[in-house]
Amino acid sequence: MYHLLKGLHEYLTRKEEFTVLIIGLDGAGKTTFLEKIKTLYNDVPGLSPDKIGPTVGQNTGKITLPSTILQFWDLGGQRGIRNIWHRYYDDCHAVVFVIDADDRERLSEGWEVFDAVLSAPQILGVPLLLLANKQDSPQSLSVEEIRNDYEDWHQRKMSSMRRSSFHANYGGDLDASVRRERIASLDVMGISAIEGTGVREAVDWLFLRVQNSRRVES
Amino acid sequence: MGLTVSSLFSSLTSLVRWSKDKDVRILMLGLDSAGKTTILYRLHLGEVLSTIPTIGFNVETVEYKNIKFQVWDLGGQSSIRPYWRCYFPNTSAIIYVIDSSDVDRLATSRSELLTMLSEEELKGVPLLVFCNKQDMDNALKPEKISEELGLAGGEKTRPWSVRGSCALKGEGLEDGLDWLVNTLQNQ
Repeated sequence: MYHLLKGLHEYLTRKEEFTVLIIGLDGAGKTTFLEKIKTLYNDVPGLSPDKIGPTVGQNTGKITLPSTILQFWDLGGQRGIRNIWHRYYDDCHAVVFVIDADDRERLSEGWEVFDAVLSAPQILGVPLLLLANKQDSPQSLSVEEIRNDYEDWHQRKMSSMRRSSFHANYGGDLDASVRRERIASLDVMGISAIEGTGVREAVDWLFLRVQNSRRVES
Repeated sequence: MGLTVSSLFSSLTSLVRWSKDKDVRILMLGLDSAGKTTILYRLHLGEVLSTIPTIGFNVETVEYKNIKFQVWDLGGQSSIRPYWRCYFPNTSAIIYVIDSSDVDRLATSRSELLTMLSEEELKGVPLLVFCNKQDMDNALKPEKISEELGLAGGEKTRPWSVRGSCALKGEGLEDGLDWLVNTLQNQ
């Protein structure tokens, strides 16, 4: 009888599970973002920002939304450990790239890394969200400025490539058009992970996008 | 009806969780002479003791940032590794210690670790890896060891962290423990 009820309970409350990858440079605020999500959506609050140190490895988090569970992987962003990211690409349903909109000096480093993420073949069809974090700081770049900065950076990169005639090696025409499309449809949102502004909007975005673009299960 | 059962079910599970939380039990494992016992006493007493190979286990209560852990340091020699599993139930976290300068046995250490992680009883349990003896000249960097271990992508549900440490100088231990405390409080 118990098993019957338990089975029924599981059947009625079953939820689809999706996984979200959170990546970006070290110090961008990935863990702070995840902990804020936990605070907003779970009974047990996440860590306060002052307790968070650099991630070397993987942090996890899980939130329950109507008929959906979102499982997060927050990966370390230091230079030496970014090479682990790609091992998660095959299994994720959405990717969040966090950029520190307040740190102008590291923007181009961030774009270099973002560009590689953007063109990774395994996640070309996966929803990608760019978060311009640290909007609480008065000096931080706005969403619009972040988008422009990336496009400027990309233009510069393309033209320097043309000059050095490496262009032929930089993907075929097909890739270029897929990339262009990806950039054109790229969503950028501003958040403050510390204060929580925009975090719910980002989660709503993820919730909608993972439902609509289910990966074809192989 | 379904609602009543489900709320009863969730209150029961939270009760079970609560009673488990009261006893934070951490297993410290790794091959022999990785530095487990030295780390244990560094954490417990804040000083370096001269240790002998552990046959059996050492257990100490370590108080860190107002949280008390029971840290079990289990002997790492190959003949006694099979007994590790006796300690798996009710484990809150695992600290796995690797001798970063012991390049020859890294593969052995890796396979012992992965075998252990595949145990049902340790599912989802946070893992902290100390790449110990970073003061040695030939010590592999934590990033390199992390890559060799291949936890990335293979351990989906478990928080993990691979960090460098030097138990003799006390370096890296606090950072690692900070991460572990945060992760445990968050579970």
